[in-house]
Amino acid sequence: MNIISIALKDLQILFKDRGTMLSLFLLPLLFILLFSGVRYGGTGEVRVVSLPAVDLDGGQAAHRLIENINRAGGVEAKRVEQAEAQTKLAAGEFMRLLSIPAGFSADLAANRPVALRLVNHPDAAASDTEAVQLVVDGVAQNMTLQAQVMASLRHMGEMWAAAPEQQPFTAERVVAQAESQFKVADERPLVSVEEMQPGQLGSPEEPKSWGGMQSSVPSMTVLFVFLMAGTTAASIRNEKKVGSFRRLLAAPMRKVELLLGKMLATLLTTLVQLAVIFGISVFVFPLLGLEGLKLGNHPLAVVLIAVLVALCATGLGVLIAAFARTEGQVSAYSGLLLWVMAFLGGTFFPLYLTEGFLSQIGVVAPHYWANKAFYGVLTRGQDLAGVATEIAVLAGFTALFWLVGVWRFDYD
Amino acid sequence: MAFEPLALTGHITRKGVIMSQAILAVRELRKRYGDHEVVKGISFSVQEGEVFGLLGPNGAGKTQTISMLTGVVEPTSGTAEIGGYDLRTQVQQVKRINGLVPQDLALYPTLSARANLSFFGRIQGLRGKDLAGRVEDVLRIVSLTERADQAVEKYSGGMKRRVNIAAGLVHQPRLLFLDEPTVGVDPQSHNHIFESVKRLNRERGMSIVYTSHYMEEVELLCNRVAIIDNGEIIALDTVQNLIAMLGGGVIQVGTRQMDDALLAQIASLPAVKRATFAPKPVAPPSANGELADAKPAPAYPVVKVEAERSQEALINLISFFNERSIPIVSLEILEPNLENVFLHLTGKKLRE
Repeated sequence: MNIISIALKDLQILFKDRGTMLSLFLLPLLFILLFSGVRYGGTGEVRVVSLPAVDLDGGQAAHRLIENINRAGGVEAKRVEQAEAQTKLAAGEFMRLLSIPAGFSADLAANRPVALRLVNHPDAAASDTEAVQLVVDGVAQNMTLQAQVMASLRHMGEMWAAAPEQQPFTAERVVAQAESQFKVADERPLVSVEEMQPGQLGSPEEPKSWGGMQSSVPSMTVLFVFLMAGTTAASIRNEKKVGSFRRLLAAPMRKVELLLGKMLATLLTTLVQLAVIFGISVFVFPLLGLEGLKLGNHPLAVVLIAVLVALCATGLGVLIAAFARTEGQVSAYSGLLLWVMAFLGGTFFPLYLTEGFLSQIGVVAPHYWANKAFYGVLTRGQDLAGVATEIAVLAGFTALFWLVGVWRFDYD
Repeated sequence: MAFEPLALTGHITRKGVIMSQAILAVRELRKRYGDHEVVKGISFSVQEGEVFGLLGPNGAGKTQTISMLTGVVEPTSGTAEIGGYDLRTQVQQVKRINGLVPQDLALYPTLSARANLSFFGRIQGLRGKDLAGRVEDVLRIVSLTERADQAVEKYSGGMKRRVNIAAGLVHQPRLLFLDEPTVGVDPQSHNHIFESVKRLNRERGMSIVYTSHYMEEVELLCNRVAIIDNGEIIALDTVQNLIAMLGGGVIQVGTRQMDDALLAQIASLPAVKRATFAPKPVAPPSANGELADAKPAPAYPVVKVEAERSQEALINLISFFNERSIPIVSLEILEPNLENVFLHLTGKKLRE
C-alpha cells in the first residue's frame, strides 16, 4: 500500500509540472515529426538496401521472386549480368549478390527443391546483411508455401476429377492436407537460401523507400522513454536533498518499499507516455493528413516490447540514482548514458548507415535492442519469435539494471 | 479525531510536568562512517511527557543521533528502547511511536499543505475519515487551515516550517523528534512554533526530543538537557542544574603575566570558587564533519574564574591585579546561562 501511495504522490507531482509534461509527450511527438521527414533527406523516405540479382533462370518464378523481394520493402533487388556482378563483387563495389539458379522456375513448378544463393561480402554491414537475409528468407518461405499448397490442391483436383462420384475430400481432410503442407514447407522448404561468403558483392546502398514514421516513432519513443530514467534519478536525488526521503525512511515501512514506490511511478508514467505517443502516431497523425504508424500484424508483440522498454528505463533510473552522489552527477550520468546510448543504439539514424566499430558498439545500449525489436515487429512484420533475441537481451538489461540499482542504492 | 491525552503517572518536575517511566532509553549508541565516529557511545533517557533538549553546535552529532533513533540510519553499535520496543529488532514498531520533524523542509513544494499532510498520513497507515480528521487537526495546530489548499511553494519560510512540523504530527506520535525546527524563521513564526510545541507537550502530553543550537529555546522549553559535542554527551541535567555549574558566574580575565602561583592566589580570593587557565579555543567541526579553521588563540594567558558571587569576585580580582601592577588585557563576565555553560565546558561558543 505504501508503494502505491508513494507512486501516486510522485505522479501527482509529475503531472503538475508543465515542463515534464512537455518533455514526456510534446517533445517526442515533435521529434517524431521532424525525424520522420528529415532523417532520410527530407523525403519522408527511408533508404533501402540494394540487392544485385543474377537471374540465370529467366523464368516466371524468378521474375516473381524479384518482384516479391521488392514488394517486401527495405531491400531492392536489381537484375544484373553475371559477368558484371562478379567483376563488381571482386572490386568491392557490390556487398552482396543473389543468385537465382537456372531451372529455378521449372523445378518449382515440378515441386522439386531449389536453392537460391545469397553471397555476402565480408565487409558488408552486419545490419544490412541481416535485413537482406530476413527479406529473402521470408519471400522464399512464402514461395515455398505457395508452390506446395498449389501442388497439393492440383493433386486433389486431379483425384476428384478421376472419380467425381466418390467425393473423396471432406472439409476435415482438406484442412489436414493444408496443415501437412505447412509442416512440410517448414521442415523441407522447397525454396531454400544458401548463404555464402566468397569474396563477393554488394553495393553502397541507395536511398529508397519505406515510410519514415515506421522507424522514427519507435526510435524517438525509445529515446524519450529512456530519458525518463534521468527524471527518476533526479527525483530521487531531490527527495534526498530536501529531506523528504529521510522523513519517509522514518515512517513504518521497509526501505525497499520507498524505492519501489518511486519505480512504480516511473513505470506508470512511461507506459502512459508510450501509449500516448503510439496512440497519436497511429490514430491522430492520419487524421491530420500525416503518415500514420502501422502496428503491423503483431500488436501484442508491440505491447510486450513497450512494457519491457518501460521496465528497462525504470531500472536504469534507479541505477543512475544509486551511483550518482550529487545533482551534478545525476545530470552528468543521465546525459552521458542516455544520449550516448541513444546515439549508439540507432535512435538518430539507422545503424546500417554506420560501418565498423560504430555499427558494432551499439549492442551495449538497451536502445539498440529496443529499436531492433520494434523495427522487427513494426517494419519487418516479425512476430515475437522473430524478435526473441532482442527481447531476451532487453529483458537481460532490465534485470541487470533493477538488481544492481536496488542492490547498490544508498538510502543514507 | 482529537489527540487522546496520555495517562500519566509519576513525579512532577520543576516546570510542573508530570513524569512517568522512560519512553526513550538510549544505551551506548554509536555511529561510525569509515574511520570517523560521529556519535561516540551516548546514553540518556527521556521520560514520558518530558521535553528533552539536545544542545550542541552544528556537527556535534545531534542529527545523527536523531536519525538513528527514528530508524533512518542504523546504529553501528548500541541500542535504544522506545516505548518498550527495541530499536535494533523492532524498528517498525518504534517508527509507529515516533514522529520526526527534520531540520530540512521535507515537503513537496508543488503540492498543497493538505496534499502533503495527507500523503505523510497515508504513509503512516492512516486512511479515510481518520486521515482527513487528523489532517484537519494538525492544520489547526499550526494555524494553516485557511491556506491548506495552496501549494507549499507559495508559503513564506515560517509557514513552510509550520507545515513541516504538522507533517511530523499527523499520525499522533507519542515521541516527537524536533530537529532544529526554528532555523531561519521570522520572529512571528518562531513564536508560533515555540508555542505550538509547548502546547503539544502541556495539553497532549507528547514527549519531545528537541534539538537546537539556540540555548534560549532550550532553556525555556526543556525539562532536561544533554549537551553534546563531538559526538559525546558532556553534560546532562536539568537546565537549572546545568546553569548552577557556573555558580555565581564565570569571569575570564586576560593578562600578560600569569603563572601557577598567581593562579593559586586568585583561587583563594573571597567569593572565588575556582580559578583555572581557560582552555585553548578549538573550532568546532563543520556540518559535514570536516574541521573548520581553528580560531586563533589569544596571545596572552586567560584565567577562568568561577565565582560564588560574581560582583564581589570581580572587585576582588581587579584589586588583585592593580596591587601587583599587572595589566588586564581583557575581561569578560559570563552570565549564568546554557550558552556559557557550553563555553565553560568546551571552551567554544555554541554558534561558532
